[in-house]
Amino acid sequence: MTDDTTNTDGEPQTDGGSGPDGSEADQTVRSDGGTGIVAPDDETPTWRERKERTEGLSRLTYEYFERARSEDESLRRESDYVERDVLAFPTWPHETVRNLALTSFFVGMIIFLSATLPPHIGAPANPNSTPAIILPDWYLYWSFGLLKLGPLNPELAILGGQKLMADRTYGVLANGVIVGAITVVPFINKGSARRPVEQPFWAAVGMFGVTLAFTLSMLSVKNLMPMNVHLLFDLTFLAPPVVGAITYAVLKTMREGYMYDLNRRYYRLRPPK
Amino acid sequence: MADEFIKGLGLFAGAGLAWMVLAGWYRTPSFESPKQLIAAPPEPNTVFDAVGIFLNDVFFWTAILGALTFWVLIPALNQVRESSTA
Repeated sequence: MTDDTTNTDGEPQTDGGSGPDGSEADQTVRSDGGTGIVAPDDETPTWRERKERTEGLSRLTYEYFERARSEDESLRRESDYVERDVLAFPTWPHETVRNLALTSFFVGMIIFLSATLPPHIGAPANPNSTPAIILPDWYLYWSFGLLKLGPLNPELAILGGQKLMADRTYGVLANGVIVGAITVVPFINKGSARRPVEQPFWAAVGMFGVTLAFTLSMLSVKNLMPMNVHLLFDLTFLAPPVVGAITYAVLKTMREGYMYDLNRRYYRLRPPK
Repeated sequence: MADEFIKGLGLFAGAGLAWMVLAGWYRTPSFESPKQLIAAPPEPNTVFDAVGIFLNDVFFWTAILGALTFWVLIPALNQVRESSTA
């Protein structure tokens, strides 16, 4: 939003853009020079919001941001820079040189690895025989691991010790449960936190999910893992809650202290859109 | 603190890369075997092989001890010094 920051009597207006009579009818979009005063955007607190912060940490935070804003504004007023809607670095040379440096690094790393560790090409695959070990691509290991949940499929006494469904059906249903849980998450938390410490619980849920994906991947290649299979199966489901609890405890502990309060003020000063 | 972090990360990544390459040369019988990078190295036939097998261990411990030094040891020493002076 690029408001015209001068009203009729020429006074800079920084409270979010409503006129003296409260109307916004005289607002016009202008992006070609003018006074050079930086336009306040939707995130700028109103003067009333600022005056509510009169003591202690809130006062300090308010002064800090007010000073930063006014310094920024005076810098722009002194310069002959033309105010534009989008402020960014120019593509040439800034972005291009940086991108060339990054590209060179990764291309060099690919050349280095392909020169030093050339993988030998094995015998051609025999389509007539199934290999002893078959695996999906690595990023689907978690789903493959969910197909190996046979020990969790309960043998129901009411059915005379029989299982309600086959182990493979159980594994496919488990995939549905996991995918369903991931689908639901955005609807119950829209993710307005800017850093994990803002919402320790949801950060812990995230770490739980990441760990579960990792341990399920390890379970899917259990015949290649150099450890006891039963221990691996137990760790698959015990490690994620433990990691989640540790994450929650650490983030809760980080909420103590001065810097977190300051950051939280900052967070409230500029609410997410 | 950030300086110590990047020093440790640089040692870990750089020495780790060199270790991975040398271990791929000398300690990987096959890229399809379950024991890659950790198999016992062969008896060196040439001086170059002996140097490579020796440097393999050097880079491995550089990666481990370098990261530990800059991420754990030096910060811990700084904490002890601050707490004793303050």
